[in-house]
Amino acid sequence: MTVGTRAFFLVGPEKSALLELAIRGSRTDDATAKMLAVSYVQARSVDILDPKDRAAQVLRALIDSAVDGIIVIDAQGRIETFNPAAERLFGHRQEEVVGRNVTMLMPSPYREEHDRYLSRYLETGHAKIIGIGREVTGLRRDGTTFPLHLSVGEMIVGSERKFTGIVHDLTERAKLIEQLRGSEERWRSVIESAVDGIVVIDSNGRIEAFNQAAERLFGYQVSELLGRNVNVLMPSPYHEEHDGYLARYLATGEAKIIGTGREVMGKRRDGTTFPLRLSVGEMSIGGERKFTGILHDLTARVRMEEQLREQASLVRLGEMAAVIAHEVKNPLAGIRGAVQVIGGRLPADSREAAVTGEIISRIDTLNGLIQDLLLFARPPQPKPTLVDVSSLISTTVDLLIRDTALSEIDIQVEGASAPVVADPELLKIVFQNLIVNGAQAMRGKGRIRVSIGASDVACEVRFIDAGPGIPPDIRQKIFTPFFTTKARGTGLGLPTARRLVEAHGGTIHVECPPAGGTTVTIRLPVDRVTASTRADGPVLERGSIEP
Amino acid sequence: MTGSTRHLCVLVVEDETLIRWSIAETLAQKGHRVVEASDARGAVRALSSEPEQIDVVLLDYRLPDSDDLGLLKNVRRLSPESAVVMMTAFGTPEVTKDALDLGAYRVLNKPFDIHGIEPLLQEAHDSRSGASTRPH
Repeated sequence: MTVGTRAFFLVGPEKSALLELAIRGSRTDDATAKMLAVSYVQARSVDILDPKDRAAQVLRALIDSAVDGIIVIDAQGRIETFNPAAERLFGHRQEEVVGRNVTMLMPSPYREEHDRYLSRYLETGHAKIIGIGREVTGLRRDGTTFPLHLSVGEMIVGSERKFTGIVHDLTERAKLIEQLRGSEERWRSVIESAVDGIVVIDSNGRIEAFNQAAERLFGYQVSELLGRNVNVLMPSPYHEEHDGYLARYLATGEAKIIGTGREVMGKRRDGTTFPLRLSVGEMSIGGERKFTGILHDLTARVRMEEQLREQASLVRLGEMAAVIAHEVKNPLAGIRGAVQVIGGRLPADSREAAVTGEIISRIDTLNGLIQDLLLFARPPQPKPTLVDVSSLISTTVDLLIRDTALSEIDIQVEGASAPVVADPELLKIVFQNLIVNGAQAMRGKGRIRVSIGASDVACEVRFIDAGPGIPPDIRQKIFTPFFTTKARGTGLGLPTARRLVEAHGGTIHVECPPAGGTTVTIRLPVDRVTASTRADGPVLERGSIEP
Repeated sequence: MTGSTRHLCVLVVEDETLIRWSIAETLAQKGHRVVEASDARGAVRALSSEPEQIDVVLLDYRLPDSDDLGLLKNVRRLSPESAVVMMTAFGTPEVTKDALDLGAYRVLNKPFDIHGIEPLLQEAHDSRSGASTRPH
């Protein structure tokens, strides 16, 4: 017992006496308090109660010693009893509140409504709170409010209806709930703001949580996935195998991935797959085993690795091509020269002289192949100047139409653009490759449209042929070097075009519209100063940031 | 064919025998004198010891004992009056530019038309003699 508390004990031979023990005294001096308590007991000693007063005394003592506040009101709402616990809760002394309306203990709007509730109950018996309990708000003497649980019982004393309210302070519980909520919010915001995907599943593989990063990764809304088997996020064969893995782990504890991590494939909502690193942890919540997967997208890394591999292999190919070029062209030069000399000594109209001519043309074809390989494997560094794309295309077309293989091809050039900064010799090769490809697709007959367009940042050239288009299964391979569908072709035309365009900071795309034909689109960055000069007259500083 | 058609003295430096043979045959047929070397050492020896002035040097870029433009510099130093035409099986634009900067008249990519050689050498020689004070 500490200072300020009181206790009641039933004492005496038949427990007929009530001993009230109170500890009073200085809160800072415990010894003094005890002294005071002892003297008080001596002074009050033991009251031998009259048996008829005994029940009332016991009741009084119970009310006074109750931990919860006890407030009794009459039918008008006036306070009759206000126990010490209520005093502590509300900060009012009993004498301040007895006889006053209980609404003084309520904040708005209950304060205004209470009288009406009470009178309605008395009239109709329609109870809002009586006989049950609920959480309400109390108003302290100092004007602050606090949450409390109020249970109200009704009693009849004599002929009067009275109501007893038991008031249980919920301040601590509310604080705890608040803390829990705060903690949950913190965790939720940590999980939701995480860059990596987080997926929680239960022991049956059902998804219980799915954060925003995971939504972005897989293209699903969380609402679509909750309760579904996590294997919807996996492509075959993992999709079929996952339930088995999970069951085996739960049965044997033999982990394939739990506690560690590894690279796996994920399946997006649209069916596409992507590489990711998955690490899985296990936890137990309320006795249930659950698994948390952290998913880190590897798409960018894998793409970069692929690009690096491709670049490395191009560098190797370039080195190889350089060696081959020298080792092949040198003897080719010897053979060509010697055959020319020998051919020159044969009678001009002889069969042998004609054969030497054929040998020379084969050598030139072979040399052309080596040249193409070199151009692809070791494209020269562009020597940029300002290039007018439409006149460069016209020049290229003029050269090409002299070729007998293109004599029945009608090439239409339309549109214009601001000059691009490019190497005209290399661009010419690009245009030539694309036009020749289109002409071959149309078997040397038909119309190729070359359409030039421009935006602020790019010059766009589209080569539109009316050929049969490219079958979908080979569309992905057309930029792969040495891939060809032609009986005679090196498979270097498009890959070389792409390398040269990319060397200019441009892009190249191939589409096959449903209407037929193939459209190859090249985008080249335009020279901004010139572009703005053309568009706006005098060159002004534009607020753009160079990429 | 431009300029004079006088008979030239040509040094052919080339390790590929078929190239050397076909050039020598072609030039000899036109009445030119041909000195042959199959490596850099032979080229330097010929330039130092040849009693007659060499008018044009036809020089391969890559030889067993030379793989850069050092030999071209040497030739220019040893025989500043001679015109030089280079041959290469893999001439990058950089190599071509450097060779021209060092005074080569032309860089010829292999393989080439053998019949184009003789007029080219005449042209190269004319360009030198036009700039030179040396009497013919």
